[in-house]
Amino acid sequence: MSATAAHRPVVITGWGAVSSAGAGRDAHAQAFAAGGPRLQPIDRSAGYHRPHGARLGALVDSSDCGTWLPPRAARRMSPPSRYAVVAARQALEQAGLEGDLAATAVVTSTSFGPSSFTEELLRQILLDGPQDASPALFTEAVANAPAAQIALAAKARGPNLTLTQREAGPLLALARGAEEVAKGRAERALVASVDELNPILHAVLDRYGALAGSRGGDEIARPFDRDRRGAHASEGATCVVLESADEASRRGAEVLARVGPTIAGFDAAAPRVGWGRDPSTLARVLARGLERAAIDPHSIGLVAAGAAGSRAGDRLDALVLRQVWEERPLPTVLVPKAYAGEHGGALLAGTLVALDGAPLAPTPGFRHVDPSLDVVPFAGGIVPRPHRLLLSALAPGGSAAWTILETP
Amino acid sequence: MTNQREVAVTGAGAVSAWGWTLETLWRGLAAGATSVDEARRFDVTGQRTSLASEVDDDAAPPPRDDDAWRHATRADRFALAAVDEAWRNAGLGAPREEGVVGLYFGGSTAGMDEAEEYFAALIAPASVDYLRPRIARLATHPLNGPGDVAARSLGLDGPVITFSSACASGGLAVGAAVEALRDGTVDVAIAGGADALCKVTYSGFNALRAVDAAACSPFRAERAGLNLGEGAGALVLEPLERARARGAEVLAVVRGHGASCDAHHMTAPHPEGEGAARAIAAALADAGVEPDAVAFVNAHGTGTPLNDRAESRALATVFGERARTLPVTSTKGLLGHFLGSSGAIEAVATALCLRHGQVHPTPGRGPIDPDLAVDLVTDAPRPFAGGVAVSTSFAFGGSNAAVVLGAAPHAARRAESEP
Repeated sequence: MSATAAHRPVVITGWGAVSSAGAGRDAHAQAFAAGGPRLQPIDRSAGYHRPHGARLGALVDSSDCGTWLPPRAARRMSPPSRYAVVAARQALEQAGLEGDLAATAVVTSTSFGPSSFTEELLRQILLDGPQDASPALFTEAVANAPAAQIALAAKARGPNLTLTQREAGPLLALARGAEEVAKGRAERALVASVDELNPILHAVLDRYGALAGSRGGDEIARPFDRDRRGAHASEGATCVVLESADEASRRGAEVLARVGPTIAGFDAAAPRVGWGRDPSTLARVLARGLERAAIDPHSIGLVAAGAAGSRAGDRLDALVLRQVWEERPLPTVLVPKAYAGEHGGALLAGTLVALDGAPLAPTPGFRHVDPSLDVVPFAGGIVPRPHRLLLSALAPGGSAAWTILETP
Repeated sequence: MTNQREVAVTGAGAVSAWGWTLETLWRGLAAGATSVDEARRFDVTGQRTSLASEVDDDAAPPPRDDDAWRHATRADRFALAAVDEAWRNAGLGAPREEGVVGLYFGGSTAGMDEAEEYFAALIAPASVDYLRPRIARLATHPLNGPGDVAARSLGLDGPVITFSSACASGGLAVGAAVEALRDGTVDVAIAGGADALCKVTYSGFNALRAVDAAACSPFRAERAGLNLGEGAGALVLEPLERARARGAEVLAVVRGHGASCDAHHMTAPHPEGEGAARAIAAALADAGVEPDAVAFVNAHGTGTPLNDRAESRALATVFGERARTLPVTSTKGLLGHFLGSSGAIEAVATALCLRHGQVHPTPGRGPIDPDLAVDLVTDAPRPFAGGVAVSTSFAFGGSNAAVVLGAAPHAARRAESEP
């Protein structure tokens, strides 16, 4: 297939997810209707943690994966690979796809890769000596192991890519997957965002003060709230099936959303491990991108914000939107990570549950409007189904991405 | 004949064991002697090999951005130096004056070396006199660290994307940059990658028995595995018409790219190189280039028995009988395997070969494997006819990438002393 093929409209025809909410769309819908992520104490026995600080995280219950991934198949996979394959199988099932999937691209994103396998490998190397390093651990410690395992499970022989751009990665991966289909380099794409939370990663995030409870106080993430003090660390995967609108129509597949343009940019003033203070650079990038795509911001009926409870991150997210919307009120602001915690797949999972028409709890953790942001997130119920919505994902370090989705 | 889909390479930068400049890279490539030596960065006792191709930190240039440099990991520094050199070579102004500038990077270790220090201190028994764990050592540990640091240093506001598809990452990054230019998403793109040696990868490849105890010998009958290397490569890319309009010197052009997946095994390549062949064929189709027009291949050429055999099969599939006489070289034979950034440094090496009209040689021991249908360039640089080359990158998990580069239109070939 030539990349000169006319660009084809691309649609989402299936999705799957695994997280602390459980495995599958129904489990996520039920959990998000009930409220925030299911938090559990993180194992502190390795001694990585400070005496005080955050203690909770939203973890996947591995028994939730069994229906989709037999233990024998999962045996040698890292947790992220397991999550990715489970989410991909769900997505393919919903899309009604089986059989020959060779012409399928796989695009994944991850923030930190397979943390537990990397940690275990390092322990072997540093404590037991390099001669005892496990080749099986090494093979699954690479960031693209989940993408490879999806390809093996689906026999997907199209382009296989893994992006690592922190919180902006999921939308950049979605854009890349859509591009593979739009340009005819693949018949369809499986796009997954996958992250693992293990004790050392939790401890490091806590030492950076990134988590609710890192600096004392209650351990509740409060996105956009006046009193927000950090996120809930979490893990899981969300995978979507992308295909051309024509192919979806030919197959009679249900179209969940059309994938519009993704706008990406960078805030060079951002510190290495935080968000920038001045929203003007990213606001200019977003406004420029919308203008080039001939999209009036006021035609956007819903924003799915990437806010997770960070003081600086939520602030930047809100102020960028405020600058682009100028004096006009923002549309309904959904905060998917309030329901699912901070992991790569959370943004898409929360958005897709909302687009399914499932009722959601009032935005978990939110109590008081931050007057400097003036954002009142979704108050609960069934999210009004907009024609056009904007997903927002700003990463510490400066990367940013926004994606337009349109509903049928 | 050129077309609008072609992308000009107007700047390049490199960091390798030979030095922190493009000039030292070309000198080393042309000399054809391996840079692999005894590893010094960390204790390799008990490993199957004691060799590596290491960058000399003391030879680093004065940093342009002191603050960025001070807080940078080694991989960050490689990225900063290569990107800075490439941008200067391109003769461009401040990035904000050049329209939308994006950065597309590939890597697989980023700040792992520094993360290992942190982890070692964290798990050290109380009796061991380690330094207290310093959380700052982890600041740019994430895989997007080197690309982000380079983007921040240049003050970019366009897309910044890091690919980490193991050893295909750099090639995929070049492909992504080309697409962004073709789409008009960006006006100028920086494509590259940076990786530093670390214990995880060194021990991991040893555990896989994928290393050669001696200097590696890609495509030779006695090959026994790879050597690890480190460094960075960066290219400044822009539409050919734009480069011409501003009177920029064009080093080479990127004509096409392709990617595929074996979906065969987590580490072993497809024995017939089936996925690799599809990636090469896709890149040639994207470039609008017939296989017969290819003058040489800068092969993935790791030196492992399985990889080189699979790559040879892939070349035979794409090029047919001509594969036996098609010049092939392996930059890894000289610099070791840069892992995620290998596709980047090899794209730079390929561009340099096109610029000089010579394929760099691949050292090694013993005869070329008679089972492999390759015409390996050995001993000395070999002049070639034609102006198109293919650079290949194949990864763990079966991800494959290929990039087609061409000589600059109407380029005058460079003297050997020029980079």
